[in-house]
Amino acid sequence: MSAPNALRDLVARDLAPARPLAPPAVRALALVPIAAAIVASVPALYELRPDLPSIGALRAFGFSIAQAIAGVAIVAAALRESVPGRQWPLAQVIALVAGGLLMPLLLPGLAAQAFDVAPPPAGAVPVGVACFRTSALAALPALAASALLSARAFPLRPAVAGALYGLGAGLIADAGLRLWCEFSAPAHVLAAHLGAVILSMALGVAAALVSRRR
Amino acid sequence: MCEYLAGRIEAFDGLYAALGTRLRAYLLSLCRDSSVADDLLQETFLQMHRSRRTYQPGRPVAPWVFAIARHVFLMHRRGSARRVRFLERVAAAVGADDMMRDDRRALADVDAVRRALRAVPADQRRALVLHHVEGWSFAEIADRLGIRLNAAKTRAFRGMRRMREQLK
Repeated sequence: MSAPNALRDLVARDLAPARPLAPPAVRALALVPIAAAIVASVPALYELRPDLPSIGALRAFGFSIAQAIAGVAIVAAALRESVPGRQWPLAQVIALVAGGLLMPLLLPGLAAQAFDVAPPPAGAVPVGVACFRTSALAALPALAASALLSARAFPLRPAVAGALYGLGAGLIADAGLRLWCEFSAPAHVLAAHLGAVILSMALGVAAALVSRRR
Repeated sequence: MCEYLAGRIEAFDGLYAALGTRLRAYLLSLCRDSSVADDLLQETFLQMHRSRRTYQPGRPVAPWVFAIARHVFLMHRRGSARRVRFLERVAAAVGADDMMRDDRRALADVDAVRRALRAVPADQRRALVLHHVEGWSFAEIADRLGIRLNAAKTRAFRGMRRMREQLK
């Protein structure tokens, strides 16, 4: 079977040497400096969590760094999803998303003295809003970088790729926030921290769909 | 594939020879229409060419190409659904009920649609037909016509408005 002349001519006219993209895991390494900057900048711009002496620096930083690494790994998974023929099976996409969403739920408890450290009732809403806003804003640089990396490939399921890199960016931002916020009460964690991660996922989906239409 | 990435057209011929038959059979199994399968095969190779840098050397070529082929089929199916909706809208506009009752009037209506389409400026008509009839996305139309995305949308929109005015 040989190519029709019209197709062959079209391809021949446009056939310049093309350098293949690096493997997804290698491309995701571009996100490491951004992740490090986000994790370092949140406590640097505000302050370190006040209960740091009692929980220990290793525990506080260790869990945050682990979550940031998980975030970069999920972005790598999104970049793999963006390559034709390397899409994740649905079960693995669900496992990745579920695992990713569990991290901001579990880590506050693991990195705090108890699972129910709550802000004072009068300050619950302002503290929640501050955490949500800071986390959502901190996710934007990682989200933008991931969106660019993904768009350079050819995501055949842009919504899936976008959800994954949005989740990764949200986890990186939340990892930084955990060095500032000491609260682990379920209401605060769900509304402020998990909410920001879910918003980041939604922004990722929107970014991927928009970049695909262009 | 690596030679193709290096820019050798003979490598493209080799890929077409090696994968064309299998790809066509695959596309035919999806769309069940021989002529559509041929079109989709060409579109698959074009998409493959455009996204060739996403191929990772050392990995098998087939899963990469077949994923692109499946995507091309899904885009075609989405475009077909859009085309059907457009035809339904046109049918409604020219009075579908009357068409069923009166063949002569139906023919006149179809003629009216043709005349209305002819009255649309050529550049708008092209964008209109490519999007609403052939099911191309605006990004693909912009690519094909060498215009900006917004220009493609505007042309199709203005063409549709002009056609509606003609049909009133």
